[in-house]
Amino acid sequence: MTDIIKRPGGAMANRPLHFFWLADCSGSMYGEKIEQLNYAIRNAIKPMQDVAADNPNAQVMVRAIKFSTGAQWHIAAATPVEEFKWDNLTANGVTDMGLALQLAAEQLDVSQMPERCLPPVLVLVSDGQPTDDFNAGLAALMSKPWGKKSVRIGIGIGSDVDLEVLQKFIGNPEVKPLQANNAEDLVKYIRWASTVVLQAASAPASQVKDQVSTGVVPIPQAPTASDIDADDVW
Amino acid sequence: MSTLLQSEQIIYGDLTQQSYTIDTFLGAGTQGEVYRAHANDKAVAIKWYFPHYIQNDQQLHQRLENAIRKGSPDNNFLWPLELVTQPNNAGFGYVMPLRAANFKSIVDLMRRRAEPSFYALISACLQLSESFLQLHAKGLCYRDINFNNVFFDPDTGDILICDNDNVDVNGATGAINGTPRFMAPELVRGDAPPNTESDLFSLSILLFYMLMLHHPLEGKKEASIRCFDQSAMNRLYGTEPLFIFDPQDSSNAPVVGLHDNALVYWALYPQFLRDVFTRAFTTGIKDQHGRIRENEWRVILINLRDSLFYCRCGGQNFYDADTVKNCWACNKALIYPPRLRINNTVVMLNHDTKLYAHHTDQSQKFNFSTPQAAVNRHPQDPNRWGLQNLSNNAWTITLPDNSVKIVDPQRSVNLAAGISINFGNITAEICV
Ligand SMILES: Nc1ncnc2c1ncn2[C@@H]1O[C@H](COP(=O)(O)OP(=O)(O)O)[C@@H](O)[C@H]1O
Ligand SMILES: [Zn+2]
Repeated sequence: MTDIIKRPGGAMANRPLHFFWLADCSGSMYGEKIEQLNYAIRNAIKPMQDVAADNPNAQVMVRAIKFSTGAQWHIAAATPVEEFKWDNLTANGVTDMGLALQLAAEQLDVSQMPERCLPPVLVLVSDGQPTDDFNAGLAALMSKPWGKKSVRIGIGIGSDVDLEVLQKFIGNPEVKPLQANNAEDLVKYIRWASTVVLQAASAPASQVKDQVSTGVVPIPQAPTASDIDADDVW
Repeated sequence: MSTLLQSEQIIYGDLTQQSYTIDTFLGAGTQGEVYRAHANDKAVAIKWYFPHYIQNDQQLHQRLENAIRKGSPDNNFLWPLELVTQPNNAGFGYVMPLRAANFKSIVDLMRRRAEPSFYALISACLQLSESFLQLHAKGLCYRDINFNNVFFDPDTGDILICDNDNVDVNGATGAINGTPRFMAPELVRGDAPPNTESDLFSLSILLFYMLMLHHPLEGKKEASIRCFDQSAMNRLYGTEPLFIFDPQDSSNAPVVGLHDNALVYWALYPQFLRDVFTRAFTTGIKDQHGRIRENEWRVILINLRDSLFYCRCGGQNFYDADTVKNCWACNKALIYPPRLRINNTVVMLNHDTKLYAHHTDQSQKFNFSTPQAAVNRHPQDPNRWGLQNLSNNAWTITLPDNSVKIVDPQRSVNLAAGISINFGNITAEICV
């Protein structure tokens, strides 16, 4: 028997959610750190796809920017999360974080974005200090309505990271940058950003008391870091 | 990826002292992780909480103990059966029945990965109303009715309600306020804590979603929002909620191209369903006393299911006494089967229609346990349709010429216009 259509209409209407990775590929990331970041992001793909599949309110599109000496698109086309793949990054050069924000800002211009969207999500991962004009980059981002409305998460790798810069990027005193002191934390944080935060930006889960209440969307509590160990690899 | 328990790990039941062996990780939520486990040969599900969640929800332990003591309101709940703990671990969790694989989520329904017939879908809505009635009747409040907590079998319309760890005595202060898009406006605004009446609002939202594949408050106002953020949601669902089909105010009407499901389904369903949703989202939006109660949903949903009939193309359509429609599937004019008028409701007599005590006995409303009558064909003349008496009592029928006959159990009455059937304490009339 051929399948008869049982009920009319289409799938429930939803909105695009644009998700941007901004990854530090400067020389200090060379070696273990960049490989751990590659691993952590690859590890987060499936959970991210699962969360998206379980969320009828959003159509998740992924892009990625890499920055070292200059900033480039690592994934330039907004890619449906179901087709999202991660090519490994390599590291060398300085930390032009400001340029990365400029690049994101161009794509968050109203002329580049669909008319109706969910808040974009920007996840910035870095292990150091910007070497270029970070403030100019941030200003460019915040000058765009979609930039201002974006949900921004900052993840620091190791102890040399400039948490103040990440905090400025986040722009919400109630959401703290996450500091990953080992590979395990990094996996946890990247996964959290690509699942829990993604979900919060489109279809916030049950509202519990521990949620941060201000900002574009409520951000659930981040996972706790495993105990900091002096012998950690980095 | 699980983070809390490993497979083969053993945890212990507080009540039975049983040891449960963890098999596989099933999924994670905001409060904890769920695993498949077994004790002896019996498979169960175990939810184990995140340590930070236990810290934040001081009443959790007590609430679970209460729920376990009270027991499940009915068989449709994946209710906590007992608490589980582990030596040298401050954490805890609970055991519940395992959800079978034939159950799909409401998200699957919204994304059209699960395609129930109208009949099965309405049956699922009906079971939901009945189960929440049982829960509320016990003095409990669910607090978090949403897409992720309800599962259904697309073939039968059977349902399962999970995430019962937020259930508490109505009026108790709890950790969960609800899920955006499902929360009653007074909760979104922060004016009131969750209670039975806010559950009823969430139930109306869920039923609307299931039947229309759209949110009842997302119309023009939603379309005009560029960035759908927290403040937009607060406005749409909290401070300025307006039904998309509000008869008095069309400023939030559905927009063609954006809200097509709402337009398609609204036109398809009978007026009595549109009326009850209109009440749910006009008077029921501002006033907690105006919310539609489960018993009214039950009546409406049974009537809705009874009004289903088949087009020749196989498409299921709804009989609407007031309007003549074409089939939504093939667009041809619809041909009605015979119908049974029982008081002020109409039951379509399709080739597969069955009547239950709900239809034939005044004193047995909502009893669908055993069929009391079924549409059948004359054994010699397949063009003759009848209604067979499957009950233990004879029916008395009155023909259009006022002659009276008896239809004994197992015998059938012709589906001919003007015949009235007395089932005992209910009389119905056949119309064609
Ligand atoms: N009884 C069960 N049987 C099978 N899977 C379950 C059961 N209970 C929950 N799950 C699955 O486990 C995951 C998390 O459960 P959930 O109760 O939603 O967590 P939370 O309440 O913390 O958000 C979900 O994918 C859900 O489908
Ligand atoms: Zn048809």
